[in-house]
Amino acid sequence: MTIAKDHHVPRFKQTNAGKIKIKTWGKRQVVMFTTFLALFLLTVYGFLTFDYKGISFVQAVTDTIYNVKVMFFQPAMSHFTFGEALGQVGVTIGLGILSTIIGAIISLFLALFAAKNLSSKTVSSAIIIVITFIRAVPTVLWVLIFAIAAGLGSEAVIIGMTFHSIAFLVKAYSEAFEEIDEGVLEALRAGGANWWHIVTHAVIPSTTSSLLSWTFLRFETNFTVAVAMGAAAGAGGIGFELLMASNFYFDLREVGFITYLILIVAIAFELLSTQLKKRFLSGTSMS
Amino acid sequence: MVLLQVDHISKHYEKDKPVLSDISLHVQQGEFISIIGPSGAGKSTFLRCINRMIDISSGEIHFDGTNMMALNKRNLRKNRTKIGMIFQHYNLVSRLTVIENVLHGRLGYKSTFQGVLSLFKEEEKREAFHLLEKLGMAEHAYKRCDQLSGGQKQRVGIARALIQSPKLLLCDEPIASLDPSSSKIIMDHLKEISTEMNITCIVNLHQVDVAKKYSDRIIGLNAGEIVYNGAPKDLLEREIREIYGANAAHLMMK
Repeated sequence: MTIAKDHHVPRFKQTNAGKIKIKTWGKRQVVMFTTFLALFLLTVYGFLTFDYKGISFVQAVTDTIYNVKVMFFQPAMSHFTFGEALGQVGVTIGLGILSTIIGAIISLFLALFAAKNLSSKTVSSAIIIVITFIRAVPTVLWVLIFAIAAGLGSEAVIIGMTFHSIAFLVKAYSEAFEEIDEGVLEALRAGGANWWHIVTHAVIPSTTSSLLSWTFLRFETNFTVAVAMGAAAGAGGIGFELLMASNFYFDLREVGFITYLILIVAIAFELLSTQLKKRFLSGTSMS
Repeated sequence: MVLLQVDHISKHYEKDKPVLSDISLHVQQGEFISIIGPSGAGKSTFLRCINRMIDISSGEIHFDGTNMMALNKRNLRKNRTKIGMIFQHYNLVSRLTVIENVLHGRLGYKSTFQGVLSLFKEEEKREAFHLLEKLGMAEHAYKRCDQLSGGQKQRVGIARALIQSPKLLLCDEPIASLDPSSSKIIMDHLKEISTEMNITCIVNLHQVDVAKKYSDRIIGLNAGEIVYNGAPKDLLEREIREIYGANAAHLMMK
């Protein structure tokens, strides 16, 4: 064994008991440990000092279980027909599609200028900073901000969701563009092609499939956001029905029905997107 | 006729660390020149300086009667159409078909509008097929490039360069990723292009024997300087040692 040669300086650390340590306590570990300990103690303290306002814990749990049971095991419609429900889902899907498509078109152009290999450093950094800021603020807030000008309703929701979609898609698209083989761009440039030629003949064709799958992913997100926005910002659609059923009629069975409906639609989109991915990305690596 | 005239060009990214220093070279029309030298000698940089893919730090380059250094962006584009380029990794758009990739060579002649909408003339398309025919690739014209072998991809690369109707071909290690038989096909094509079409070829190579077999003239580059500039037959053991440095004895050669 060659290791034995320089044995006079042991490289391993030992515990007091003489066992070899395999973990060392760096600054990182200390910070992590202190944080966890503090959170744990706060949680225990919190539970000990809750003001339960006379609610019986057992009663609360049984009631909740009963509610959940009614919601999910006895779903029913009482304020609309199945056809109307589907129509409302259609409205929600429409909100999702519209904001995704408008967002995707604007993002495509912005992303070209945000990609470091296609744009100048200043322009790219400027776009990325703005985009990061927009993305950091939740969609709901953007909707409420635009509601000041557009009024609560579908207009504000579309603008707000489009805004956030752009922030998301520009990042996704520009990263896809940045992964393009630099040599291809060089080859076209060496042949005398200009920037727009390179974009349309090399950049877009090489990234179509990943652009499409990012867009569809965003559509799935926008659908679920549109459900919430229907309730929160009065954009209509199935989300609004959900709000009415739960807060206005206190109809738990209807809440259950709507939840299942949304779930089914979401699963359908998920399946569709896997199918699309299989079809468009098969054979070629999604590099 | 002198086609390309390179005078005292230097290139450095950092001060005191020249990649190319004081390189001068005159190239005749139709000449086949190989540039050999160890990795990092500046072969690729030199090729890219000629069509200004990389801007030089000092010196002058005259190509086909124009001063390349004085060109603005628009005229540079126009002049680049006269210089075809071929790459080690082919640099084709792999999701597009062979014929689409070949037609990319015509983009230099197009306005933004024509290029974006792929408005290629019938004669350009016919020429593309003609070139593919010549390179033995016509049957693959509608295949996607990611279905081709390395040698086939390189032939598409050559077709893309030739459709520019260039006066000069810059080949950056065209056979470094190819097996011997594909390498021979590619080198034979390049040689044919220079003799029959009277297109000048400047080829970066790693294989000394290939360079000796095909070239009219060999340039030896070491650490950014020309250390050999002469006929293949005069390139002997001593010169090779000078180009590749002290370790030339270990060079794998016949």
